[in-house]
Amino acid sequence: MYISQAMHGIAYGMILFLIASGLNIIFGMMGILNMAHAAFFMLAGYFCYTVVGITGNFWLGLLIAPVLTACLGVLMERILIRRSHAAGHFGELILTMGVASVIVALIKKIWGTESLPLRVPDILQGMVSIAGMNYPIYRLFVIGLALGVLALMMLLLYRTRLGKIVRAAVSDRDMVNALGININLVFMFVFGVGTWMAGLAGVVIAPLLTVFPGLADQVGMDAFIVVVTGGLGSLAGAFIVAIIFGLLNSFGVQFVSQFAPVLMVAFMALVLAFRPNGLFGAKDR
Amino acid sequence: MKNNLSVKIILWIAGLILLTGLPHVIGIYYTNMVVAFAIFSVFALSLNMLLGFTGLLSFGHAMFFGMGGYGTALALTHIPGLAVIPAVGIGAATAVLLALILSPLVVRVSGTAFAMLHLAFGQLLFVVALKLYKITGGEDGIGNFPMPGLFTESLSTSPVHFYYLAMIILGLCVWLMWFVTKTPFGQIQVGIRDNARRIDYLGYQVPQTKAVVYVLSAFFAGIAGSLYGLSHNLVSAEGSLGLWMSFYPIIATMIGGVGSFFGPILGVAVFQGIDELILRYTESTELVMGVILILVVMFLPAGLMGFISSLMLRLKSRSCKNQS
Amino acid sequence: MKRSSVGFLSVFLAFVVGSVVLFNSPAVFAAKPEKNVKAIKPVASFDVKKMADMSDFDPSNPITPSGDTIKIAVVAAFSGPSAYNGQIYYAMVQWVAHDINKRGGILVDGKKKLIEVIKADHQSKVDQCKKVTERMALQEKVHFFWGTDGSHFMKIINDTARKYKIIAINATCMSDDLQNATNFSPYAFHATFSTEMVARGMAYYYGQIRKKEKKFYILNQDYAFGRQFAEDFKKGLQEYHPQAQLVGEDFHKLFLTDYAPYLTKIQASGAEVIFTGDWLPDAGNLLKQARQMGIMLPFANVYVDEPNYLNETGVEGTKGLTNISAYYDSTPFFKTKEHIQMYTTWKQQQAKWKELPYSSIAFQHFTANAAAWVMTTYWAMSVLERAGSTDPDKIIKVWENDSFEYINGKVVKMRSCDHKAIMDLGVTEYVPPEQQKVSMNIEPFYWFKNASYTGPVYKVPAEKVLPWMDQNLDRCKGKNGWGE
Repeated sequence: MYISQAMHGIAYGMILFLIASGLNIIFGMMGILNMAHAAFFMLAGYFCYTVVGITGNFWLGLLIAPVLTACLGVLMERILIRRSHAAGHFGELILTMGVASVIVALIKKIWGTESLPLRVPDILQGMVSIAGMNYPIYRLFVIGLALGVLALMMLLLYRTRLGKIVRAAVSDRDMVNALGININLVFMFVFGVGTWMAGLAGVVIAPLLTVFPGLADQVGMDAFIVVVTGGLGSLAGAFIVAIIFGLLNSFGVQFVSQFAPVLMVAFMALVLAFRPNGLFGAKDR
Repeated sequence: MKNNLSVKIILWIAGLILLTGLPHVIGIYYTNMVVAFAIFSVFALSLNMLLGFTGLLSFGHAMFFGMGGYGTALALTHIPGLAVIPAVGIGAATAVLLALILSPLVVRVSGTAFAMLHLAFGQLLFVVALKLYKITGGEDGIGNFPMPGLFTESLSTSPVHFYYLAMIILGLCVWLMWFVTKTPFGQIQVGIRDNARRIDYLGYQVPQTKAVVYVLSAFFAGIAGSLYGLSHNLVSAEGSLGLWMSFYPIIATMIGGVGSFFGPILGVAVFQGIDELILRYTESTELVMGVILILVVMFLPAGLMGFISSLMLRLKSRSCKNQS
Repeated sequence: MKRSSVGFLSVFLAFVVGSVVLFNSPAVFAAKPEKNVKAIKPVASFDVKKMADMSDFDPSNPITPSGDTIKIAVVAAFSGPSAYNGQIYYAMVQWVAHDINKRGGILVDGKKKLIEVIKADHQSKVDQCKKVTERMALQEKVHFFWGTDGSHFMKIINDTARKYKIIAINATCMSDDLQNATNFSPYAFHATFSTEMVARGMAYYYGQIRKKEKKFYILNQDYAFGRQFAEDFKKGLQEYHPQAQLVGEDFHKLFLTDYAPYLTKIQASGAEVIFTGDWLPDAGNLLKQARQMGIMLPFANVYVDEPNYLNETGVEGTKGLTNISAYYDSTPFFKTKEHIQMYTTWKQQQAKWKELPYSSIAFQHFTANAAAWVMTTYWAMSVLERAGSTDPDKIIKVWENDSFEYINGKVVKMRSCDHKAIMDLGVTEYVPPEQQKVSMNIEPFYWFKNASYTGPVYKVPAEKVLPWMDQNLDRCKGKNGWGE
């Protein structure tokens, strides 16, 4: 039982990581706290629902929905965020809150308020036996996907020229611009990747829950806490903290079920009290 | 100069008469709305003390608001025969106590870390308030606590009496906050926002100053929260400690204009007006709110107050040109 | 073409299987008749013959009268995570309003008045609830509040109702403490079933009727209602099922994301039944994740009955769910022409609704919670009609001790001293489509093709589950469970 609790903890942590990583990349690279992230995440769930409804294929949903979400993200960066630099980071924060609101409202107009069901694809249904216990295949798939995304991001950031440019742009934007690199394009790309990851997380979580307009509130806050505790802008921090939170959650339920929800927030408060920038956060931002 | 002063005095008296007579003209419902407007104005102003004047953005200002509410509600529930004003005082004191506990931790940091630290403590307090349902009433909150009257009638049955009480207390708060910004102390605050190191070199103690501002801000937020609880005769976790209550004053300040003293009040007025109208004509609260936020950031980055002052400046320059 | 032939085939198959079952064992599903059961005689009833032509009713585009009307404020969440609830309630109340308005309204205070239904959005926030109810009272001057999803909101509605002397109809919220000595107000009517009677009813079913499972696990939402519901179920088990064993008890936060840790715990505890008072979306997610994890234990539930979730989970996953209802109390469902008329009117009308959520299968059948809400609203309007006035005191006088017969023959009674509804309850076990004929005894002889749904219904007589009464409430001192 403890093994399966640990597995559940890790799976939940991976879901949190998937949502958190996109948020993290956008903040780390652009300094923008994207409050609309959870809304994009939810929107992807709806896209996936519609794609599956039309084609009957979950895999197409997994492919198309995040791309659609990323397109919207890029549009948002191009039309809104790039033109609101005058308002500063504080203004951008409020702007993204506005966008979040609009997305939720549009979702209600288009898809309604009820819960839309989405099934786990047939291949991933059922259980698999590992180390003497049965474990749902879909959750294993989630864990694998999250690890894949982590690896992809690491490669992209640290092994490609693009990654080098992005990292350089973070530390000195004007310098990179002066070198003749289109900095706006780089940021647009970063924003796109961030929202794509939100979309991926949205599609992955949809079959575990249902797609409904409260999904963003339900999961968004937890993901936000992960990013903050891990350190804004630190991918590794988000990964480790997501796992810690997942485990805290499942073993919390197991042993001190009454106080399980308190554990996560208490952990966050404790970490920030001693390390205000998060566990792996860079000093001074 | 003298003429100006007498005009001011006349305006003040006219304003006071208007405020006194208001509840008899507009009826109970709108009287309650005015009270809510005043409460949120003080709340937003208290946040602006931190944000606009000291440059500290807090994602957990509802903590103090909620502490004020819970302090007052618990005091009135458990201390028999307690009068209203001491109860408000207890609420504010609870908020100040929390600020004093937190201040050694939070004055060290600024920027994003400050915001996030408050998010953490705010959320912690929220979850704990839900968990300690035997004391706080959980989701139900503390409701129907006794509300002794100012004169004879209980405040819960006399919205007009409550209006006077709230207006006097809140008016005092606004005046006090205004006063603080005008003192040398207020100037140091602005200095910290603009260049903390310089203020340090000038020989002022930055952390201590921050701590004082922080506690003052908590005090006013606590009073606002306490009166909010009284006005609804209900204090709840979601309504007083929830995340939305932390963002409300931030958004109102943004709409009204950061850094200007009266900006937040304007923002709250806009907010309340929209809320009232939206509820009547459409269900898409989110859509209207969202669009407004986007428009404000895109086109009025300095808020309504900034817009107004730039307008004034333009008018002035035009009249100057005309004169010459 | 292909689709309809498949449909016909399955109907035919269902019919064959059903008739075989029926002819072989006619009495298998009938509950044993209880002796000396006190039957409630109805004072008034819903008469489907008087119902207006509903063919132009569409909840997405309701016709709302204005001017001098009887105003009902439906206080519920119309935005935020539970916005769906508000939409459901609104449609149900609108149905009643539409019907009565087409009949010409209700004669009150010497004048025929139409019914105007107003949405009051509490946004799932207590403060907002306070604000919006005050507005309804002071600005809209409503005559009735109709609520709502969540005991904390109902409490506020009742408070405002007391303050401004407005009748509060509680049609959906179960909490017992709404009508206890501290919270009771003469203007509030708890017109649906209540926590303790439901929990005891479930215990009665497992202990006195089914007599199989012995190990129970309680999993509820962590707030006042969830905790109270758990306590009441324990009380019920002691009373009606002494051999039962409680193997665990947990409370999870509202709108939980991951149920796996709780479910793992439940699986390890050796429980045979999971008792849950969760409502949507939690109830649906709980069921879904349990089945995904291969946990096929039955849920003894009140709100795990939303057809969209059931269809998604499939026939296997929903088989054996045990649901307790305020609406049906016996099988087969359709014993009278009138009931069939009501049911088919609804069904034909629903087929015309084009907009979500009303076009979804959740609204297809007139049964369970939705039907109970419609009937409760008809009851309140019948009371108003007989009171002949919107004067709250006159309404109170008529409603106290009143009893009303639903379209399916079920009778509910309003206990006069604490304004709580007394009624028989029905416990059902969900069965696969081919067995649904037991309850669905008209064409097409099943409820849903892709989900298990209402099967045999066992009656828990009102006498065994009289609503809880607070003896500290002065009005109830020394009275028995019937309020006499």
